[in-house]
Amino acid sequence: MNTQHPLREAALVETRRHFFGRTAGGIGTAALASLVNPQLFAGNRDGTMDRVGGLEELPHFAPKAKRVIYLFMSGAPSQLDMWDYKPKMNDWFDKDLPDSIRNGQRITTMTSGQKRFPIAPSTFKFDQHGQHGAWVSELLPHTAGMVDDLAVVKTVNTEAINHDPAITYIQTGSQLPGRPSTGAWLSYGLGSMNENLPAFVVLHSTVNGGFGGQALYARLWGAGFLSTRHQGVSLRSNGDPVLYLSNPQGISGKMRRRMLDELAQMNQSRYDEVGDPEIQSRIAQYEMAYRMQTSVPELTDISDESEKTLEMYGEEVKKPGTFAANCLLARRLAERGVRFTQVFIRQWDQHGNLPNDIRRQCGIIDQPCAALVKDLKQRGMLEDTLVVWGGEFGRTIYCQGGLTKTNYGRDHHPRCYTKWMAGGGIRPGIVYGETDDFSYNVTENPVHIHDLNATMLHCLGVDHERLTFKHQGRNFRLTDVHGNVVKDILA
Amino acid sequence: MSSSSFRRFPVNLLLLAAIFAVTVESLSAEESNRIEFGRDILPILSDRCFQCHGPDEAQRESNLRLDLKEEAFSEADSGEVAIQPGDASKSPLISRITHEDPDLLMPPPESGLTLSEEEIQKLRKWIDQGAKWEQHWAFVPPKNPKVPRPVSDWATRNPIDHFIHEGVQSAGLTPQPEADKETLLRRVTLDLTGLPPTIEEMDDFLADDTPEAYEKVVDRLLKSDRYGEHMARVWLDAARYADTHGLHLDNERQIWPYRDWVIKSFNRNMPFDEFTIEQLAGDLLPAPNLGQKVATGFNRCNVTTSEGGSIDEEYYVRYAVDRVETTSTVWLGLTAGCAACHDHKFDPLTQKEFYQLFSYFFSLTEKAMDGNALLPPPAIKVPTDEQRVQQQNLNEELTRLRAEIRKRLDEYVYQDPRSDVELPTLQRSDRIWFDDELPAGAVPQGNGENPWKFVSGEEHPVFSGETASVRTGEGLTQHFFTGATEPLMIGDNDSLFAYVYLDPDNPPETVQLQFNDGSWEHRAYWGADKGHGAGRNNASNLKMGELPATGEWVRLEVPAASVGLNSGAKLNGWAFTQFGGTVHWDSPGIVTIAPLSAEQLASQNIWELYLKEVKQGGLPGEVQKALDVASGDRNEGQLKAIRDHYLKQVNPESTQYFAESLKQEQDRTNELNTLNGAIPSSLIMEERAEPRQAHILERGEYTLKRDPVSSATPEWLGPQPEESPNNRLGLAKWLMNPEHPLTARVTVNRYWQHYFGTGLVKTSEDFGIQGERPSHPELLDWLALDFIDSGWDVRRMQKQIVMSATYRQASRVTPEQLSIDPENRLLSRGPRFRLDAEIIRDQALYVSGLMHGVLGGPSVKPYQPAGLWKPVGFGGSNTSVFKQDSGEKLYRRSMYTFWKRTSPPPSMTTFDAPDRETCQVRRARTNTPLQALVLMNDVQFIEAARKFAERILRNGGESDEQRLVYAFRSIVGRRPSTEELEKLLVFQADYRQQFGQDETAVTQFLSAGESPRDESLDASDLAAWSMLAHLLMNLSETITKG
Repeated sequence: MNTQHPLREAALVETRRHFFGRTAGGIGTAALASLVNPQLFAGNRDGTMDRVGGLEELPHFAPKAKRVIYLFMSGAPSQLDMWDYKPKMNDWFDKDLPDSIRNGQRITTMTSGQKRFPIAPSTFKFDQHGQHGAWVSELLPHTAGMVDDLAVVKTVNTEAINHDPAITYIQTGSQLPGRPSTGAWLSYGLGSMNENLPAFVVLHSTVNGGFGGQALYARLWGAGFLSTRHQGVSLRSNGDPVLYLSNPQGISGKMRRRMLDELAQMNQSRYDEVGDPEIQSRIAQYEMAYRMQTSVPELTDISDESEKTLEMYGEEVKKPGTFAANCLLARRLAERGVRFTQVFIRQWDQHGNLPNDIRRQCGIIDQPCAALVKDLKQRGMLEDTLVVWGGEFGRTIYCQGGLTKTNYGRDHHPRCYTKWMAGGGIRPGIVYGETDDFSYNVTENPVHIHDLNATMLHCLGVDHERLTFKHQGRNFRLTDVHGNVVKDILA
Repeated sequence: MSSSSFRRFPVNLLLLAAIFAVTVESLSAEESNRIEFGRDILPILSDRCFQCHGPDEAQRESNLRLDLKEEAFSEADSGEVAIQPGDASKSPLISRITHEDPDLLMPPPESGLTLSEEEIQKLRKWIDQGAKWEQHWAFVPPKNPKVPRPVSDWATRNPIDHFIHEGVQSAGLTPQPEADKETLLRRVTLDLTGLPPTIEEMDDFLADDTPEAYEKVVDRLLKSDRYGEHMARVWLDAARYADTHGLHLDNERQIWPYRDWVIKSFNRNMPFDEFTIEQLAGDLLPAPNLGQKVATGFNRCNVTTSEGGSIDEEYYVRYAVDRVETTSTVWLGLTAGCAACHDHKFDPLTQKEFYQLFSYFFSLTEKAMDGNALLPPPAIKVPTDEQRVQQQNLNEELTRLRAEIRKRLDEYVYQDPRSDVELPTLQRSDRIWFDDELPAGAVPQGNGENPWKFVSGEEHPVFSGETASVRTGEGLTQHFFTGATEPLMIGDNDSLFAYVYLDPDNPPETVQLQFNDGSWEHRAYWGADKGHGAGRNNASNLKMGELPATGEWVRLEVPAASVGLNSGAKLNGWAFTQFGGTVHWDSPGIVTIAPLSAEQLASQNIWELYLKEVKQGGLPGEVQKALDVASGDRNEGQLKAIRDHYLKQVNPESTQYFAESLKQEQDRTNELNTLNGAIPSSLIMEERAEPRQAHILERGEYTLKRDPVSSATPEWLGPQPEESPNNRLGLAKWLMNPEHPLTARVTVNRYWQHYFGTGLVKTSEDFGIQGERPSHPELLDWLALDFIDSGWDVRRMQKQIVMSATYRQASRVTPEQLSIDPENRLLSRGPRFRLDAEIIRDQALYVSGLMHGVLGGPSVKPYQPAGLWKPVGFGGSNTSVFKQDSGEKLYRRSMYTFWKRTSPPPSMTTFDAPDRETCQVRRARTNTPLQALVLMNDVQFIEAARKFAERILRNGGESDEQRLVYAFRSIVGRRPSTEELEKLLVFQADYRQQFGQDETAVTQFLSAGESPRDESLDASDLAAWSMLAHLLMNLSETITKG
């Protein structure tokens, strides 16, 4: 990082002042902007560059990953039907979950009124895949094909048992509102790699053309007590991809350009008068806004993608806002240096009618997830891109509501569930951690969500204990006062 | 410089702040070489040592405590005394912090904490100088400081300037002269009202040469209604006010009457002690009035949940913790939250003391689950003055009408014509409710377009009359109606029926009848359990049998009582529901006893006998009770009740006679009900009769209850005032005790921050040991004591600040000032910073003439980009779909914008408005490209530019030059310089030329927003001026208070 002595800063301000004094009215904005911010032109044409912003002391050590794509399954997908194979459960059909297994686990009030907790074995077939023979359910044929690239962690756990606190917890390290989200921490610590795009982008996926499912909250991509500039920016599939991006009707790009030049002149002459450096910054921010007006539409226009690539992601990729389209967009964002991209897809909260609903959900996500990993790999980007998949907690082995061989529901389960990671810094082709026969308790290698977050930061070259922000007299961090890097899953 | 602008500011500010710290350091060094414990030593100990040697008992190592004098100077476990006053070289503290052996070095390397050489030197020097110990400044009540003598001939206006000038002089700076009048008026108008001055106000001020001109303006502004709104808006950040619950469903909540109470309180200049006491404990005051109850909404503003599966106990704890944190941030400037889990690491607040505070907020009558309701109790009705008058008028009218009816009833002469007759035989029979057309008033609804299809002809079976209704559909589908004005009365033992004909080629899986008596929870089905309310098998969805035979008319019959429709129920709606298939429906009705004829009804005796037999419900309770008494045993009152009812409601002749009066009574009653329904309510606090026992909770976990605690305030912050009750009221009075070291300081500091951008204590939320020390401690104390002495007069305190020469300085900054005092902490120049989000929008609405300036009322939904709520909202939430308001509601001040916590209005949050999920007393102030995009493209601002242009054209004079001056003055207050004017003329000509060539662009550009455009103005000209207005609205100066 380059620091500037304030006196030299002041001298520079003076120089600028003279410069503008002489050329008032005639200054080209590009020159102006480069004066304000020489690095603006240090990068590539698409705005990518090594680094902009962030803390001087970061990364703490050489990072394996430069960026993260986090595929968030909101509502909590069932580990039992996708990843955590429990063949013995077939003998337990409709038998009660032993108290020794439940062992005092708090039960949500949605099932605490049930007289019984009958075991519901998964109705789906599992097979072994990849060189290491990972068990994957028939729901995920495409992902199964990529399993050698993934580290599947079966023992993720949390304390929270309801959606709002749980998703707030995994995203911010606290069950209560008020803390910065993971992406905001990274924007704050590591800055951006693209001058023209936000460091932290959020994508919301439609399911069957609509939204619905468990609620999401602005705090999940909020900046908490960090500067609001670090909050995630939603890239939308309807209307302006970035809020307020398009010029109003009747204002052409050319007219906007002229207006901004004129605005810069006016602001500059005010600066000459009052000397407030904030005015200079304002001029630069307008320039950046202008650049976003072109770089963002370029980003979302997928006409330059090959048919082969599109095919890989599946039919839906051509419909903006679908999970497939968002996965492709996530790759494009990664290419452009966006530090943290979070793709949300909802409707995993399957308290009833789980087999049908999970089939639909997996049908939506399976191919695009696999395609994203494959696509990144083909482009040599998987090496330094970390992909994370999963939800806020798991689901119970016991049935909620009516149980038949082919239909059942599952309640929330915090003690163990499955997530996978792939790419930068992660050991490929492993299954980590073991759970009991009921996928109820961890028997080996628990990974708390704080551990998971610590590991994610580690891949990015960040010591989770040292990325802190002093607020209200205390040093806060994403992992609160917890978290251990899970060394065993690192490459 | 080579860092980018993303990082440029924060980094530079940090860097410059560091330089600033050094500057102050060197100043004090010049002044004296003396180390001050509070200023120099305590921050080091607290930041680097207290983790293990501080107040937190659980974390304390080797029983050495460095936060208490007695402990710090006594023997540790090792037998050594860490500090040897007067001799640093013999003090183990110094040897340990300089130790070469990493195992012995303090702080331990693995803690990640280190001490700089300079800090070690300070500690050394402090011990050598005798290790004098003092308490943390903020925990000692302020003492009246001496006002410094004026510095040479620097102009002062009040004592504030004396304190400020002292600092400015020590730094070798000089204050800026008073800002020019235009700048000053804009600054003070924005600061006191959140809106810019009008040109008229500016001209008045410029024309007023008297020495009191400025003071007159200040007094005018302080009395303006806009003042209260503006001050309230800032307070609402602290109160975490919003219009939704915040967690999970994030449904709407009604508490805006509290918001309006805050506005009114500021406009009435309510003293801060009353303001505090009413908000924290208004309900506990003797005979509290409505306002005092509404005020307690302050601590009902916290986020709440009703997520299925949540545990009540956990949320009672969370809500109480939030209330302690908020109360302590706002009044104590302390970060109490840390002590929820363990003794505070830095401040003396113990975990026990935290739960003693917690106990004050732990015994409310609220439920843990908000029920996703608009008004989770306790809540209170808050009528406006107008509504109160209307209520009174209606009640008076009703009293009059009832007296009149009473009188006429008493005078009415009735003789039973057939007192001797016996009741004719009563028989139960079918009564079809409707056939071929819907009953009067029914609103037809259902799936698909034209959901009701009455059909006849060859291919359609019909059971009775001319037609049957038919439906074909996939899945769950239905047609139904509600709103029948002549309801279907249900009597004892009645049954409901309808006829169905199932298509043999396309049978449904389910047929279902649903009945509405105000609720739809009365259902019966045949076949599969796939209708509405599936899975319940109770009165709200009762299985009647298997699917009826196909290809023939089958009667479906349901005993009304079995689906929860008891005698007296009145049906206004009926639904025909099926799962798939094709179904014909016909002749719905009721099996009941035939009603009496008009002739029979003319006899009260027959009517009474009929009622005895039929037991028709639905009679007023009093009448029913009287009828239940054997006829010979009835007393006078009972006889009268029966007779009154009979005459008013039953007898064909008398009912005619009373109809008009009764209708009037009914109409007034309806009006009163409507009025009562329209009166808003607001959430309030209320104490449980039986207090809930609070416990210390280990790690803050609701399940880990430890020792029970009762309500108490931390003693080290001063005693409870005598005779104050030990409840929230006592807590509030304790805060407002004039001896309290924190309340007044914390409050005046927040106001200082309001005017100067940064408080005298920069960390306005943290006055604890880890917070920043005040830049001007004596001034802070002086202001605090003055505030208390004035009787907590908020308006006076603020006037004092804005009257000071310090506030009135020009805000121009020289490179010298920038280098010595980049953040303007010394105040050698006037304040200058970006306006808050709300002011930026309000200003645009105001100068464009769009603003609809009424005070208070329900929150509104102005423009926001489409599709923001849907992608995040829970399907069942009543705030998952954003429905934009129209008309005046688009143009209210921003403080009235509906605040959905999980998706707040983006044009506000982009400019750093907090999310309102937690208490916030200090906003960030960033400068980002997204802000530029809002001002460039948000329809609100484009529309405002057009309306502003219309004003310019109508009121700005004839020439371009006059108009430009008018426009410029409207938005930034001052006149443009010659150079600026020249530029603007060029731009304006350019816009005119461009729009002159492009009619489409003109039409499009002028179409932004809902407000109609002034058609009398030339469109192309208006577009050009709108563009100029747009340019002006984007000026850095426009969104900056200078």
